[in-house]
Amino acid sequence: MIQVRELSLECSEVYLDSLSLEVTGGEIYILLNRLGQDSDLLFRVLSGSQAPTSGEILFDGCRQDVQAVAAFIDRVASGAEFETEARVGDWIDFLCATGLSRENLYKNLLVCNFHERHLKKKIRELAPELFKQVYLAACLAPEHENIVINDFIRGAEKGFELKFNKLLLQQKAQGRAILFLGGDILYASEIADRVGFIKNGHLLFEADAAELKDMDIKGLYQKLLN
Amino acid sequence: MRAFLRFERRRLFGEKKNLIFLSFIALFSAYFTWSGLSEFRQFQAEKKIFIRFEKEKVSQLSSYAQYGAFGFRLLYEASPLSLFFVNSGILQDVESNIDNFEAIKVESSFKGKKLFLKRGYFKDFAGIPFIFGSLFMLYMGHLGLVGPAYLRFMSGRMSLKKFYALTTIARLFWLDLFFILLGLGLFALVHFGGVFFSRPERNIFLLYILFLVLLLNFIYLLGQWTTVLLRFRKIFFLWLFIVWFICIFLLPEVNRISVFNQSRVLESAEKVNLDKFRNLMALEKKFRDYLKVNPSTPLDQLRQMQKKFAVQFISSSYLVNAGLETRYLRDVEKVIAGQERQSILFPTTFYQFLTGEASGKGFYGYLDFMDYIMKLRSRFIQFYLKKRYESDEVTVESFVQHDENIFHARIRLPATYWFGVLATALYCVALFLLAFGRLRRQAFLP
Repeated sequence: MIQVRELSLECSEVYLDSLSLEVTGGEIYILLNRLGQDSDLLFRVLSGSQAPTSGEILFDGCRQDVQAVAAFIDRVASGAEFETEARVGDWIDFLCATGLSRENLYKNLLVCNFHERHLKKKIRELAPELFKQVYLAACLAPEHENIVINDFIRGAEKGFELKFNKLLLQQKAQGRAILFLGGDILYASEIADRVGFIKNGHLLFEADAAELKDMDIKGLYQKLLN
Repeated sequence: MRAFLRFERRRLFGEKKNLIFLSFIALFSAYFTWSGLSEFRQFQAEKKIFIRFEKEKVSQLSSYAQYGAFGFRLLYEASPLSLFFVNSGILQDVESNIDNFEAIKVESSFKGKKLFLKRGYFKDFAGIPFIFGSLFMLYMGHLGLVGPAYLRFMSGRMSLKKFYALTTIARLFWLDLFFILLGLGLFALVHFGGVFFSRPERNIFLLYILFLVLLLNFIYLLGQWTTVLLRFRKIFFLWLFIVWFICIFLLPEVNRISVFNQSRVLESAEKVNLDKFRNLMALEKKFRDYLKVNPSTPLDQLRQMQKKFAVQFISSSYLVNAGLETRYLRDVEKVIAGQERQSILFPTTFYQFLTGEASGKGFYGYLDFMDYIMKLRSRFIQFYLKKRYESDEVTVESFVQHDENIFHARIRLPATYWFGVLATALYCVALFLLAFGRLRRQAFLP
């Protein structure tokens, strides 16, 4: 369970204003915002990279080392950001040698239909979508009960989005609390259990997926976020 | 740690461009070592001819007056270790002529093959890791931490501190191993090639390798720190080149110019020669004045007077002149000591000073050579005066015993070697900590 209570932060032009929300186990919560405006900041705060001015974040009811209880999946563009000159297989070996479960990682890769031959390629040689699959598989391998995702499918191809959804739904089925920070309301209406709208660091509106289906979602998006 | 070592080994040696660059460094180092070895062998061959020539020259002289005027040549022989530092020394193929003239000459010959020996900067074993090794290490430091997204990802797996420290240590381990093996491998090859190295020479080479590795680590950490400082931006390559240029070329040159300016306080060597010449002429004038006053002095009495003046010369003018030369040499020594102290301030300047000294052809080699010349000259003057005025020998006996006319340069590290090592190690620690301090902000903040 992910609980955000009265979270406030002032940071130049972007800020958070008494943000409170809760994501329970087996739920996908999509927090919509204007492109990247609030999500990067919130992601940094949630992942413990930046301390809030006030408020608290609880994972499974406790304040503890966030990296130990939640998986944080940041937006990545391509393998260039992870250009380690290493082959994919070598990188996976390294991650596994430093404590990542090889079984889980390969299981996640299989869900994405990642082919074995790509393991011999250098990370920079992988197509962006393939690289994202490896990245995603590695992030989800520790099987944390809570998952926080920062706008991961922005600009991705539909094929990759489907694989991502498959993984996400699998995680949801395993009872994990998933908080997705993004800007695509159509995507949210497809996959989310609950949706929240955040603007200028303030939570404007929350709705269940069922309620959302009866609404004019485009109008809602324009009304709340534009 | 083993996981990091394995992964970094694959990163470093699995990349084609790295392998090409490392092969290039290894090949060029081997080539310049081989070329140093061939120069060393050529020197040994020429040394034999030199000794034969000097022996033959004495046998052709008809009087000690002639011997005093021609004198004999003294050859500077560096240790075999100098083949690794052919171009790093200060002295290049020098020799001196010891005769009864007042000026001490230290010359370099450009005759015949020697005309083609001049190589230009850094073209020896010590120069290749310095120029290309440093460039490579700077680039490796730049790639070491990959980028902010990767750091954020990895900090989810382990603490950033642990990742940063272990990655740096693992990369430096492999890179250092390459340079250590390269140095030791070439040293062993030269050894098997028939060049004998004494125990102190082996120790000095090992200590040189230690400093080389430390210097390259410093450059690596500098590359890492610069990358972090510039927030992993792509325009970094321009900065990379600027940093490299400053460290490798600019600072050593600034150091050299600064020492040159300090050396301006030294009296001109010509002035010292002139003072010595005047001292000698003052004594000669006395002798001429005596001859003017007593123009009809018999020859045997004249010979007695010559001897008297010669003894007077040894006990007065010669001592004064030797004192002038020694004082001048000590002044030069002070400037050298100043440069040594100043070079500790930055690793690359100290490296240049160190390679100069490890070659046996450095500043201290020069001082030893000058001291040796003065001692030998003093003995030669006494020998010459004794033989010329006291002996009735017809054939000219050589002053040179055994290989006295070969100066075997003592190889030694600068006295400040461990200060240099300590200063470079402190630079490394400072860069390591500075980069980490910035890294936390660069990785997590916008």
